[in-house]
Amino acid sequence: MNLIQNPALIEQLAASYALGTLRGGARRRFEALARNHAEVRAQALIWQGRMASVAELQPQAAPSEVVWKRIENLVKTEQEAKAMQAARVAARPEPGGWWSSLNLWRGLSSMGVGVAAVALMAGVNLNSINARLGGEVEDLTARLSATPEIQYVAVLADDKAAASMLVTFDPKNNRLTLKRVGGFQEQADKSLQLWALPQAGAPRSLGVMGGDAVMRLTAARSDVNVPALAISLEPKGGVPAGNGPTGPVLFKGALIRTAL
Amino acid sequence: MSTLNPDTALIALIDRISLADEKALRELYELTSPKLYGVAVRVVTNREWAEDVLQEAFINIWRIAGDYKATLSPPMAWMALVVRSRGLDFLRRRASERADKMQELDDVISDTVAGDSPNPMDTAQASQQAKALHNCLSLLDNKQREVVSLAYMRDMSHNELAAQLKLPLGTVKTWIRRGLEQLRGCMAKLA
Repeated sequence: MNLIQNPALIEQLAASYALGTLRGGARRRFEALARNHAEVRAQALIWQGRMASVAELQPQAAPSEVVWKRIENLVKTEQEAKAMQAARVAARPEPGGWWSSLNLWRGLSSMGVGVAAVALMAGVNLNSINARLGGEVEDLTARLSATPEIQYVAVLADDKAAASMLVTFDPKNNRLTLKRVGGFQEQADKSLQLWALPQAGAPRSLGVMGGDAVMRLTAARSDVNVPALAISLEPKGGVPAGNGPTGPVLFKGALIRTAL
Repeated sequence: MSTLNPDTALIALIDRISLADEKALRELYELTSPKLYGVAVRVVTNREWAEDVLQEAFINIWRIAGDYKATLSPPMAWMALVVRSRGLDFLRRRASERADKMQELDDVISDTVAGDSPNPMDTAQASQQAKALHNCLSLLDNKQREVVSLAYMRDMSHNELAAQLKLPLGTVKTWIRRGLEQLRGCMAKLA
């Protein structure tokens, strides 16, 4: 039988093909025919379009409100990851440029906020979200470790999770660098003091900041081998050595090791 | 913007989404999520899973909105197909645990097929093309329409449909063949 001369049969096959019930050898023969004959191909496309309308005719139902929240969070996370990537590309060329790229840091810290927001949600799909975010953290860690002299990073944030201070540690030069990224500025009679928060025991002072945007302190690896850092507001010049913080803790954050 | 054709508004939103407009995504969700959730429920038959599928579909739409124009499809048809694909992916991933959880809604479908009760097709928000198809589908027996719809939505073979609906294979094949023949004749008159 010559199929091509039987338009009704071609159309019936095209309909079964589009429906999905044409399977196995019959499906492969039909596909071969469609590749060789434009009129067969046209029928296949027409019926694919018609069958797609079956999906449009399904009855409506109301999803729970949490679905939109989940979508919104995922989209925001994705947008932030993109911004971070763009900032990294823009910042890479010049030495010093990487460091002064606020956007990278803002991206990093706002991603942290995103993680917190997602974690707060009573998400049904938390595992997959965690997997995604875990991937992004890994990615970020990999990128940071590509810049060899920076081994530890902390983003210190206030109680509203707004990033205010970045801290990096360069073990090669025993250098701890602090950079202000928020709008916070202490009064003239006060100083910000950086503390290492060990797993057990009292906070140890790592240094006192001046009013500058960037500050470099000398610190040994053992000084920063702690899970978290914090900044307290102290009288001008800071707390005398040997004492703990006396003022309120303004910012704190976990110390992330970027290279192992 | 024309108020005559709802497709125009949806196309404009998809356009904006392709430019990473988060507000447009929200508007699209508000307009289309009941319809698209209905599609997801139909494919995976479990409301909780359907919510996961709806979520994945919207993330997918967010990422591929720029591809929409090239499809030349009505916007709702395109989105419904995105949902169907994500739903089918979901079922493949969950193949092992699917049987018992799908039972509940499948009983409803079996009843529809067995009892010839009216089947709930819904033309709300459907494209012109879908309304034409709906007119032709309305001419089929309820059970024929249901089997055709199920075959498409779940991408099921004759054998799978027969097992699912507990019907003889020959019956399923006959219903589908006759259903498609009738559709073909009806659509030819409209075209």
